[in-house]
Amino acid sequence: MTKPLLVGAVAYTPNVVPIWEGIRDYFADGPVEMDFVLFSNYGRQVDALLDGTVDVAWNTNLAWVRTVLRTQGRCQALAMRDVDLTFQTVFAARAGSGFTDLGDLRGRTVALGSRDSAQAAILPVKYLRAAGLRDGDVTLVRVDSDLGKHGDTGRSELDAIRLVLDEQADAVALGVNTWEVIGRDELMPDALSEFWRSPEYCHCNFTALDTLPDAIRQPWVEHLLAMSWDDPEQRRIMELEGLRRRWVLPELTGYESLFAAVEEQQIPAYW
Amino acid sequence: MSRHIVLDLVERIGTLAAGDQVEVPISAGDADVVARWCERAGHQLVSIEGDRAVVRRGPLPGEATVRAAVPADRWPGTRLWIYTNFDCNLACDYCCARSSPQAPRRELGSDRIRRLVAEGARHGVTEVFLTGGEPFLLLDLDEIVRRCVEWVPTTVLTNGMLFKGRRLRMLRNMPRAGFALQISLDSASAALHDLHRGDGSWRRALAGIRTALEEGFRVRVAATVAGGEAGAEEVAAFHELLDGLGIDRSDQLIRPIAQRGFADDGVMLTVESLIPEVTVTADGVYWHPVAANHDDQLVTRELFPLDQAIDEVRRRFVQYRREADTAARRFTCA
Repeated sequence: MTKPLLVGAVAYTPNVVPIWEGIRDYFADGPVEMDFVLFSNYGRQVDALLDGTVDVAWNTNLAWVRTVLRTQGRCQALAMRDVDLTFQTVFAARAGSGFTDLGDLRGRTVALGSRDSAQAAILPVKYLRAAGLRDGDVTLVRVDSDLGKHGDTGRSELDAIRLVLDEQADAVALGVNTWEVIGRDELMPDALSEFWRSPEYCHCNFTALDTLPDAIRQPWVEHLLAMSWDDPEQRRIMELEGLRRRWVLPELTGYESLFAAVEEQQIPAYW
Repeated sequence: MSRHIVLDLVERIGTLAAGDQVEVPISAGDADVVARWCERAGHQLVSIEGDRAVVRRGPLPGEATVRAAVPADRWPGTRLWIYTNFDCNLACDYCCARSSPQAPRRELGSDRIRRLVAEGARHGVTEVFLTGGEPFLLLDLDEIVRRCVEWVPTTVLTNGMLFKGRRLRMLRNMPRAGFALQISLDSASAALHDLHRGDGSWRRALAGIRTALEEGFRVRVAATVAGGEAGAEEVAAFHELLDGLGIDRSDQLIRPIAQRGFADDGVMLTVESLIPEVTVTADGVYWHPVAANHDDQLVTRELFPLDQAIDEVRRRFVQYRREADTAARRFTCA
C-alpha cells in the first residue's frame, strides 16, 4: 500500500481534530503512515468503511456490531483503548430513593439516552428485561439528542439526568464515563445516588475489513500499542482521547451482550 | 445551590476545544462544587465572580509537556546566574544592569555565593554564571570561583580589562577545569566596540582575551550588538578574528541588546517571553539576568532557601507556557 492508511473517526467534539492530528503525526515516524477523515455520524463512517473509502473506522460498540452484521462477520477489530475493555452502564436515582436493584423500578419511570446509545439505551433495556421487567412494567422516557453519534457527546445522558433531578423520571441509565465526569454521586451527594451497575462490556474499537493485509495491519497495530503514556506529547493525545494508560488488543467477548441486545430489540443493522 | 450546576458545567465545557474557556452561570453556593468539579475533571477554574464562573477546558499541559518543549540545558533552574557585584570599571551605554564606576557595589559576598551554589546544585543547577558589574573588581573572586567549581561548572563574565598585577595573580589562581571566562568583545575592530564601551576598551579587551588564552583558560567571547550593527561583513570579520585566536566557534557568541537598564532600544523581554534563568543579586532572586535590576522580573526578596525560588520560577514558567498556548489558539488568523 503506497497511500497512507486512512482512518475514519466521527467528529463529536472539537477535540477530535487535535486528537487525530496528534495520532497522524505519531504515525508519521512509524512503519505505516496514516491519515484521517472525519464523519458527522457513525452511519456514514461505516458506509465509508464498507465501500473502501477508509481502511479503518474508529467505531463505537454499536457501529462494530452493525459492521459485523452488514459484512456477515468479514471484518476485524484491531485495537481499542484500555477504558473500552471495562465500560459499564450505571443506573442512578435521586438520593434517598431507596432503590437497591433494577427490580425496584417496576411501575417507575426510567430516563434513557438517545436510542442509538449502547450504554444509555440499548443495553439498559436488556438489563431491565434480564431483571424480569417486561415491556409495560417500566415507563421508558427516551431523550434522543445527538442521534447518529451513538451517545458519544453525552448530551442525551445529561438531558436524561435533568429529568430525574426535575422529578420527571425516577431513575436514569447512563454510561460510566458520564457518571464519572459528573463526579458520580460525590460532588452533589444530596442529588443523585447510584443503585445498580452493569457487568463490564467493550465499547470502541478500530474496525477494518478482513481484506486489510496483515503486512499493514500488524505493524500499524504494533505501533499504536507502542504509544507511551510516559512521553509527554503522546500522553497529551492519549488523555484527549480518554485513555487510562494504553492502547490494547480487543476482547471480542466484551461485545456479546450488545449483539444479544441488538437481536432481542430487533435493532436494524442499517440506518 | 443549583441542582443542575454540574450538568451545566459538563455540557458547556464538553463542547469546547482543549484550552478554550467559557463562562458558566452559577447560583449562590455553587462555587465550591464548581471548584471541586474542575479539579476532579482536569479543567482550570479561571475565576468566579458574582453569578459567573469562567472555566478553561483541560487537559492542561503538565510540567512534563512544557518541559519536553524546552532544551534540557535551558530548563529553568538549570542555569544559575549570580550578580557578584554591580560596580564596574566601564559605563557601557547599553548595560542592562546599569553598572558603572559610580554604581554602588551591592556585593553578595563569598559566603552567600557558596551557599547559593550548594543549594542550587542540590536542586538541579548544573551550571553557574558569575556576572556583574565587573566581577574582577572583587579581590576574592578566585576564592569565589573555586568554591563554585567544587559544585558545578562555572563561568565568569568579564570585560577582560583588569588582568594586571594583583588581579592577574588572582586570575592565575583560578582553576582551569570546570571553569571558563566569557569576555565581552563587540566587534572585530575598535570603532564599534569603543562606541558603546569607551575609547581604548577594545584594545584592552583583546589583550585580556590573549592573556586568558595564554594562561590556559577556556575563553568564550560574547558580542552585544544593536540591530543593524551586525551586518554579514561585520559578523564574518568577528568570527575571523576569533578563529585566528583559536577560539572554538561554539564559544563565539553574538547576542542582541536587550531593552533594559541604560539601553533605550533593543529587544523587548518580558517574563512571558523569556525562558527564565534564575538570577540572584544582593537584593533578591530575579527571572532572568537581563532584568536583575527590574522589579517586574523580581521573583522574591528572599535569597534563601534558593530551592523555593527555583520552584516558584518553574511553576510560573509552566503557567505562562500554558497561557501562551491558549492565547495562540485564540488569536488564530484564519
